[in-house]
Amino acid sequence: MTDSNRMVGMLSRREIMALAGGAALSGIAGLPAFAQEAAKKGGVLKVAAPANPSSLDPATGGAGSDHSLLWTMYDTLVEWEYDTLKPKPGLAKWSFPNPTTMVLDINKGIKFHDGTDLDAEAVKFNLERNRKDPRSNVKADLTSVDTVEVTGPLQVTLKLKNPDTALPAILSDRAGMMVSPTNIKALGDDTNRKPVGAGPWKFVSWADNASLVVTRHENYWRPGRPYLDGIEFAIIPELATALRSVVAGENEMTFSLPARLKPVIDRAKNLQVVTAPTLYCIQLYFNTTRKPLDNVKVRQAINFALDREAFVKATMGGLGEPAFMTLPSSHWAFDKSVATLYPHDPAKAKKLLAEAGFKDGVELSIGGYNDQDSVRRSEVLQAQLGEAGIRLKFTRGTIAEISAQFFATEKKFDLLLSAWTGRPDPSMTYALGFDKGAYYNAGREADPELVKLIQQSRESEDLTERAKVFAKIQRFIMENALSAPIAFQYALDALSKKVLGYKPNLLGKPKFENIHLG
Amino acid sequence: MSQSRKRNIIVRRLLQAIPVIVLSTFIVFGLLKLVPGDVAVTLAGDNASDARIAEIRHIYGLDRPFLVQYGSWLWKAVHGDLSNSLVSSEAVLSSIARCLPHTMLIVVLAMLLALVIGIPLGIAAASRPGSWTDGLVMTIASLGVAIPNFWLGMLLVALFALDLNWLPATGATPISEDFWEAIRHAILPACALAAGGVAEVARQLRSSLVEILSSQQVRTLHAKGLPPSSILWRHGLKNVSVNLLTVISLLFNRMLAATVVVEAVFAIPGMGNLIVNGAIHRDFPVVQGVVFIMVLIVVALNLLTDVLYSILDPRIS
Repeated sequence: MTDSNRMVGMLSRREIMALAGGAALSGIAGLPAFAQEAAKKGGVLKVAAPANPSSLDPATGGAGSDHSLLWTMYDTLVEWEYDTLKPKPGLAKWSFPNPTTMVLDINKGIKFHDGTDLDAEAVKFNLERNRKDPRSNVKADLTSVDTVEVTGPLQVTLKLKNPDTALPAILSDRAGMMVSPTNIKALGDDTNRKPVGAGPWKFVSWADNASLVVTRHENYWRPGRPYLDGIEFAIIPELATALRSVVAGENEMTFSLPARLKPVIDRAKNLQVVTAPTLYCIQLYFNTTRKPLDNVKVRQAINFALDREAFVKATMGGLGEPAFMTLPSSHWAFDKSVATLYPHDPAKAKKLLAEAGFKDGVELSIGGYNDQDSVRRSEVLQAQLGEAGIRLKFTRGTIAEISAQFFATEKKFDLLLSAWTGRPDPSMTYALGFDKGAYYNAGREADPELVKLIQQSRESEDLTERAKVFAKIQRFIMENALSAPIAFQYALDALSKKVLGYKPNLLGKPKFENIHLG
Repeated sequence: MSQSRKRNIIVRRLLQAIPVIVLSTFIVFGLLKLVPGDVAVTLAGDNASDARIAEIRHIYGLDRPFLVQYGSWLWKAVHGDLSNSLVSSEAVLSSIARCLPHTMLIVVLAMLLALVIGIPLGIAAASRPGSWTDGLVMTIASLGVAIPNFWLGMLLVALFALDLNWLPATGATPISEDFWEAIRHAILPACALAAGGVAEVARQLRSSLVEILSSQQVRTLHAKGLPPSSILWRHGLKNVSVNLLTVISLLFNRMLAATVVVEAVFAIPGMGNLIVNGAIHRDFPVVQGVVFIMVLIVVALNLLTDVLYSILDPRIS
């Protein structure tokens, strides 16, 4: 119950009741076991999903919104704890006999939906495909893997080019979703439209931008699971409409709603609202090789000028958490001492600007998106930084267009107001956003010390050891002000009262495995 | 008019349609290539590097010259293959086969509503120009034109779906699956779409009818002693039928376009939904396919209108 306790100050009594209710029914937080047994089997859940999947083949898809749909059909080699994202065994248990060897021991007797055995050969087939298929989008995640060997009927050994303890987390993502080799061999790329995995539900139908239907996998390997006979997703990208469909009782659940819709959920009498912290971090990306942001003092000034608490109140209706680094306070690698580096201090910001040679303030070009919520954020940001004499000149456009202009070859704008959606392992976040040459590091340059630290963060398997390295990385990034994290957005999900057992996770991408209908 | 002349008109119109189709798909293709961003970014996924995006571009043939890409699309389209979506790889033709009925149902229903409500209003207003009935009808008509259909749609949902619970708030049922359920789902979106149509039909009908009714011909009819009702119904309406037909065909085309917004408000998986999602990801086969089919529909409608013109008014050939 630690999550809900932390949020008490911001939530109404009704929401806390809903949270407590959800927790009690899912049998978490040390409640007696009978609460768990009360879960009833059967029933079909109707869900309004916010986006059409980019593909139902985990290897070739690309959108971050796919996961919730993919997890219904695909189980992953590794899974994670909902609250902290600590990796835990999934289809397989893992171990590192030495820093450059990872052994996966697959659970016995697991079968894909088509009856194919999920054994060492199947896992090797998947990993090789993910590593080598020209259309695979997860190649980059597996670059540390040198060879994949079958060392037993249910054992696969990965030889690594360099130590990489981010691999368990990576194998909880797309790269660890196991697809039936029989299906791939028979259908090739068409597996995208006729997916076969080993998840709790199997594929029935998918109509683009309209619906996705899955039904119970009778031979699912976890006894007694899943509770639901099936799930019918209605794909409704217009989130206000998705919520209306739940209010009207046409769907029973919708997720990833913006905070501005919370009053609508509150007004509806038949709904429960679920909010929870996520890794989704609204932040300012800097191009640190462009004047004037090549000057650390200007970057620090921006960080001091931000009033993060006010930002959460003004743009998220309080449904968020101020961000002082790219990890939220509930994450296992969060470091408290870094969170105090940048209190809101416009005077200090002005002083730093003056020291950098901008006594009369500075004008910066910034990219932003043109949807309703992004525009609102940009206005609050303009006001906050304006107080410290930092004038923002916004160029707005679609996400694809503006991010490409900032991150890809054009290198437009000094900074970008965007978000980081989070990754299962923090080292992925730092490698993708701050490493030398990384795409989300618009300047492409990185201090050798930081590069070394990022490597180091993947060397030890022990989470306490890793947390220490991450603390160093976070401190380095924030002291050098390589970005300005602003706020973590809470997940906001609306559920009918008859949906029980749902528990949000830190990744902010719902899993349906614990849900049952009352 | 002889049968063969009528056939000639149809053949000529059909031949004229070919350049229209080619040109419109070419322009849309060009526009999709001109706007920044491309489908390779979507295909490459969330953390793609520049090199990976270039690689994807090559795998999907997106690095071929513009004209080659358009040519290969057109060649397939002429042979009845509208290609597959680049993103989800669903065949565009089957997406359209699924989406088109939803859109057509709403548009046809909205058209019927616009006529059933708009024509009586227009007649009522025109038969006593300047009266309070006329004023009321014209006020309603102005409102109908002024109210954005997405906003009206939300109001309708709030009242009829969420408060009264009479009709569904979102979604659609295929008409082939359950006729009445399909109609139930289509009523609110059709109402939202029809509001502007009602207004337009009423206004246009009123102004043409007022013009006819104040003409010398009608004065003569009055002088001959014909009853006013007979003048209105037999002479007045017959004379404005060509104008009304023009309004209807323009309105139909406009409603097809307006469904883009209405479908988003009501979460209807129709053509508007399809083209919006296609455009967002620069998934050009989808956008091209929808445009292709829409152009075909519009061309067919215009052809039908032309034929009807010649039936209603023998002077037109």
